[in-house]
Amino acid sequence: MTQTVAIVIVSHSPDVAKGAAAMVRQMVGEEVPIAFCGGNPEGGLGTDVGAIMEAISSVWTEKGVAVLIDLGGAETNSEMAIELLGPEKAARVVICNAPIVEGAVMAATEAAGGSDLEAVRATAEEFQA
Amino acid sequence: MTEPASHVDWVEGEALLTDETGLHARPAVKLTKLAKSFAAAVEIRAEGQDRWVNAKSPNAVMKLRAGHRTMLRIRASGEDAKEAVAALAGLVTRNFDG
Amino acid sequence: MNESDLIGRMIDLAAERIAAHADELTALDQAIGDGDHGDNMRRGFAAMAEERDTIAALPLSEALKKAGMVLVMKVGGASGPLYGSALMAMGKAGGTDPCALIDAAIDAVKARGKSDTGAKTMLDVLAPVRDAVAAGATPAAVADAADAAAEATIPMRATKGRAAYLGERSIGHVDPGARSSAIIVRAVCEVLEES
Repeated sequence: MTQTVAIVIVSHSPDVAKGAAAMVRQMVGEEVPIAFCGGNPEGGLGTDVGAIMEAISSVWTEKGVAVLIDLGGAETNSEMAIELLGPEKAARVVICNAPIVEGAVMAATEAAGGSDLEAVRATAEEFQA
Repeated sequence: MTEPASHVDWVEGEALLTDETGLHARPAVKLTKLAKSFAAAVEIRAEGQDRWVNAKSPNAVMKLRAGHRTMLRIRASGEDAKEAVAALAGLVTRNFDG
Repeated sequence: MNESDLIGRMIDLAAERIAAHADELTALDQAIGDGDHGDNMRRGFAAMAEERDTIAALPLSEALKKAGMVLVMKVGGASGPLYGSALMAMGKAGGTDPCALIDAAIDAVKARGKSDTGAKTMLDVLAPVRDAVAAGATPAAVADAADAAAEATIPMRATKGRAAYLGERSIGHVDPGARSSAIIVRAVCEVLEES
């Protein structure tokens, strides 16, 4: 099977992250690797740099990883996590400036066809309800 | 505006949208994914609209907002154009396989 | 006090003060943010305190990097990468010149937060602290300058972070990040004063 860009969903809430990932799986299918994480290191609402790094690593592919985030700290923590992966991997990870659920579905749809990381990001970011 | 460039040979087809809510998100995703599996350029147009859109673009397909009982025009150009049109028309006719 | 004692004492006092002020920070954050700053900072500094002896045994630059990484991994909000990057940048800058170290921290916070002074953030404390240090102020005077700078964020309008969504309504409150910065600066200055 051809490799596709992978999707990572980062929310303040573990329930939101899990639910968004479930929607992507149901709407798009299983061919796109998807990982999610939510919650701070104590399990409360927030995001966790270590967990984001693990999520990205768990679906890592040379094709790249598109990260969908919700609010504020999710962005800062995702940027930090990507930086800590090292420059080589960081160059193949992008944060999509898109709504988390819709962006994840659009990104995965684009990825499913084998599109490259830039195309996946563009499709997620073009989304308008 | 609606005419393709003269040098492009299009294979055309059509299918009726029977889903109660029309071409909403999930069918649009299915249609896009299927279109992407073909090498041919694939475009669709909702009856009553004059714009052909790229069937491989999930954003473009969702923006069609094609409603219930809209006739969907499908056209493709390229090596596997015939198969692409048949496959997409089949998917729409089968109401996106539930 | 040798360097190791100094580092250990700074961690102890900063963690103690952050814990003592956690409710205040949360209350400030409930007014203009998402209400988790106190909890996040308490968790981050508690984790740092747990590794106190390991960190204190390191040379200053390495200690700063390690402490920064603990905050990055444990805070759970945007303040983790902001404070963490600040400490890690100080460690990377190396040396012990306080102005150079604070400059490195300020640059890191600006880059990480895509922000600058005047946006009602921790930078509005760090920049005046840097100026006070550069002017040769005593540690006690630097701590006072930090408190005054945090208070001075009250009339500012936030343009970064969650508070930015409030626009005009962010005016009239102390910025929680500015307040936590002043608390940490005071803890560090008190240790320097004792030494």
